[in-house]
Amino acid sequence: MSKPETEDIEMTDDNKIENVEGNGAENEEAETQVDRTKITLLPGATSDGFAASFQIIDEDHTLGNALRYMIMKNSDVEFCGYSIPHPSENKLNLRIQTYGGITAVDALHKGLDDLSDMCSHVEEVFSTQVAAKDYSTEEP
Amino acid sequence: MSKEPQITIRKAGRDEVDFILSDVDMALANSLRRVMIAEIPTLAIDLVEIQVNTSVLADEFIAHRLGLIPLESEDIDQLKFTRECTCEDHCDKCSVTLELRANCETDETMNVYSSHFIITSGNSGLNLGHPVIRDPLKKGILICKLKKHQQLHVKCIAKKGISKEHAKWSPCAAIGFEYDPYNKLKHTDYWYEESVEKEWPRSANADWEEPPIPGEKFDYMAKPDKFYINLETTGVLKPNEVFNKGCSELQRKIANIVFELSKLEKQQDGINLENNGSSAMYANSNNNFDDYRNGSASQYGGQRTAYGGETSYGGSGTQYGGSATQYGGGNTQYQDQGSTGRW
Repeated sequence: MSKPETEDIEMTDDNKIENVEGNGAENEEAETQVDRTKITLLPGATSDGFAASFQIIDEDHTLGNALRYMIMKNSDVEFCGYSIPHPSENKLNLRIQTYGGITAVDALHKGLDDLSDMCSHVEEVFSTQVAAKDYSTEEP
Repeated sequence: MSKEPQITIRKAGRDEVDFILSDVDMALANSLRRVMIAEIPTLAIDLVEIQVNTSVLADEFIAHRLGLIPLESEDIDQLKFTRECTCEDHCDKCSVTLELRANCETDETMNVYSSHFIITSGNSGLNLGHPVIRDPLKKGILICKLKKHQQLHVKCIAKKGISKEHAKWSPCAAIGFEYDPYNKLKHTDYWYEESVEKEWPRSANADWEEPPIPGEKFDYMAKPDKFYINLETTGVLKPNEVFNKGCSELQRKIANIVFELSKLEKQQDGINLENNGSSAMYANSNNNFDDYRNGSASQYGGQRTAYGGETSYGGSGTQYGGSATQYGGGNTQYQDQGSTGRW
């Protein structure tokens, strides 16, 4: 792969110019590889798709726990759990198993949508409460 | 959830809002708390060029102090992250420059305050980068003291960032987060010498809840549903803005995953049609998905080489090198335990 090349490119300017002319397309490809995929499917999915594990990059308990809870709220879901396998790697593993009425991917989609709707609702309620001015204020 | 989430605002001030978030699960309440502390973008001094420093404080000591000064961040959405900006190093679209020139010429000790900063970048029209001043004398934060003939000249570049990277970017000074003030759920265990009641004074939030009935059976199904949240900001953002931005930041994270998840689905659908994915790079996910769809006999056959580092990952050594062994280990674990996985 082109990784060793990109390392050289970063070191000297001469190579950089050469690269722009010569194998610019390849360099671009290397860059897209560096941009790791946010979510991947882990091994351990069943053939019917009713159970699957996902790995999400750059997320932590902030999203994981709320998402886990939201997915478990779905009555079609038998099990949902998450773990952060190692504290110094910013990876989140999520396991979903359904009763069979819905695929794990769809359950994840629904969980994400529900969580987003919940956030909208909470934000809306907060804003209306702020506008209602039904509280004591302390202005300096 | 049967009930809809509710909010009762109890008190609001310039830098503080006190409210009760009820009928939500702890997971969501905690997510909001975490996102408000660590993931809302604000502005803070990130680079410091010390031009002259003849004060008693060391350069790096002053630089650290400068980083922690709260800077007005109301228009932070108008500013880009430096890493996402097209400029070479930093520019007016992704940074705010502040300068400070202090010379002490008198016999009296001179105090240098954050109010002495002058914004020298071109984006001063925005509500951005002004040091937050909360004291009645409008002096701001004391940065250092100078004796006669001592000088401090600094040029600071403030950048947009989040508190996950450095706490100086946190818009929150503190978030009070309490639930179950009577400890009915027994989530905590009070240490005491003679009497719990005497040694652990009740929280003010206890007035908002029903006291426990003596001799009542423990309700093991009960879940916390009332959260007493006291949101206190550093002054860089208004407290209601912090809450709203917290909600939208959480939604942005979700939207990002939804987007990436549909990309993953599309990608794997495409590969599935081609059957043998031509790109070696996708060999891993491809095989994985074949198992997922068609249920081949050797369910994990595909992964072994992909993670082993012999095929696609081998070349891009540094990129995946660090985690390669870890994957190796993790993979065997999956193999041993079969399709139910380790959870």
